[in-house]
Amino acid sequence: MSKAKLSPEARMISTVISGQRSQFRSLADAWQTAGATSLSVWANGARLAAWPKGVIDITPSMSAPIRINGEDVGELVVDGVGNPAAEKALIANAGFISRLARMENELNGMTERLIDTQDQLLAVYGLTEATRNHLELDDLLTQVAKIATELVSCEAAFVLIQQPDGTSKVEHYPEVKLDDELIQSCLTKVADTSEYLLLNLTETEYSRAGLRGLLVHPVVIRDQITAAIGLINKKDAEFEFPDIKLLKVIAEHAGSRMEHLILFQESIEQSKLQVEADLAKRVQLRLLPTKFPEVEGLDLWAGSEPASQVGGDYYAFVDRPDRPFTFCVGDVSGKGMPAALLMAMSRTVMRTKTTVDPTPTPEVILDDCNSELYDDFTEVSMFATVFVGQYHHEERRLMYANAGHSPVVFCPYDGEPVLFEADGTAIGVLPTSLAEDQEVIFRKDDVLVVMTDGFSEASNHDDELFGYDRLLKVVKMLSKKSAKGIFDGLYETIKNFSAGRPQDDDQTMIVIKGV
Amino acid sequence: MEIKSHEAGDIIVMELEGRFDAYSAPKANEWLEEVMTNRKPPNVIVNLENVVFVDSTALATLVQAMKRCRQLDGDLRLSNLKQPVRMIFELTRLDRAFEIFNLEEEAVGAFTA
Repeated sequence: MSKAKLSPEARMISTVISGQRSQFRSLADAWQTAGATSLSVWANGARLAAWPKGVIDITPSMSAPIRINGEDVGELVVDGVGNPAAEKALIANAGFISRLARMENELNGMTERLIDTQDQLLAVYGLTEATRNHLELDDLLTQVAKIATELVSCEAAFVLIQQPDGTSKVEHYPEVKLDDELIQSCLTKVADTSEYLLLNLTETEYSRAGLRGLLVHPVVIRDQITAAIGLINKKDAEFEFPDIKLLKVIAEHAGSRMEHLILFQESIEQSKLQVEADLAKRVQLRLLPTKFPEVEGLDLWAGSEPASQVGGDYYAFVDRPDRPFTFCVGDVSGKGMPAALLMAMSRTVMRTKTTVDPTPTPEVILDDCNSELYDDFTEVSMFATVFVGQYHHEERRLMYANAGHSPVVFCPYDGEPVLFEADGTAIGVLPTSLAEDQEVIFRKDDVLVVMTDGFSEASNHDDELFGYDRLLKVVKMLSKKSAKGIFDGLYETIKNFSAGRPQDDDQTMIVIKGV
Repeated sequence: MEIKSHEAGDIIVMELEGRFDAYSAPKANEWLEEVMTNRKPPNVIVNLENVVFVDSTALATLVQAMKRCRQLDGDLRLSNLKQPVRMIFELTRLDRAFEIFNLEEEAVGAFTA
């Protein structure tokens, strides 16, 4: 009987015999001395070994079972003797062989486990080496599929990942064996169960699809199953438990590599955005006046603080010898980059209208701006509240027009502060601006504060808004100070009011005082 | 913010509840977009009775929807504004852009008149 056909039990006993050949020979000698003609070992009806060599026909006179874990796996047979003492000795000998076989069995198990561990270490090492220099997700997925194919010795592999933007990516190695829809359903299945998926198909089942075996393991990325590795058709065999264990190790390691790569790519994206945002902030700061014009009859101060890196608020001064001094404050709805882009556009249009128009009263400036920007604002669903003021020193006249902007506080030196309420809607709301020119005499020590709602709607710990009543009181209280003093006082008061709370909205303020 | 709705004839009434701000505006916008796509003409009443706060993003959302509705031969009207919310509409003069009614029934009546 050839070795290949031996049962696993027979193979184990056979291994014991070949490992302890001289001891078996001594044992046979002892039996021969005691009168036996031969000693032999059997399993599954086949003779594994016999002493003396060359004995062919054995007519057993006595036999004893060889047992492993309570099961009879073979027999120890002697010929030529047969008495109770000899039977006892034979049973003892068989018991001894059983013990040896059991130890051999355990050793085999330990060796297999050692080989398994070694294989897994190699897998991790191979995967680390192969994926170390791949900074693109496609490459990494292909490498993982390739390594998995080689380590588990199968015909093909695929790796599927569900990306944060909702799209999925599949890479195959060496070729496509399953369509994407089926692969996607494999991921859904393993994500649902958090378990591997194993299919070993019978010949009739696989003959149609060319698929014999499929083993899919979930891959955890950032604590969620968003990827899977699948192996197709184990070469010359079915997928078995060791393959599952090996694929588990590959999946764990591949998951951490993918996670690192995704984090790395996100951090690159983040820093790109950061660089762009920094640049945008610098551009935007350049758009705001850094030096305030010296205007006869006025003391003025202004400042702007965006809530996010860039903001939608702006203020501008136009001071030219041939025109009255004009200033404006605008607040584009929304925050961040879209608001900032519209802020830059509005500012440019506003300045152009103010400098190019022959008689640019505030009403004309707002109306022209609205016509110019209405379509763009409509396109992006935004609008901008704008206050435009104009000071004519000869008559100490302050003209203004207000397109939906608040709050604007006028505090006459000898009276109570009032709000200059808007009469027109914000720019971009209606095709024509409804704001009309208004005017007041702006005397020495009169104060005008034009703010954006980031100040008036600042809230405290109890969600209470700073509000207009407090604003009017504080302006009145500060009105004897210089423009800068009033600006600083208001800024500090509102900052203290909303102490500790993050700034929700852009904050911009111009303070003008008659001198 | 919660969005509820009911119909009054050919008119759809959107009821909002809570803070209508930059965080809740996208949800309201999505709802309005769907109405504007599916109803011809889109006649919408936004009942703001239970809205306690609106910010500029919320106002921009309503303005945008009002413009689109008018382009599509419909309209977006407002009703039941609480005092603080009404004040915001007055300060920004959006009361000149929107048709605003004290009661939802009046807004419905104005549509059908």
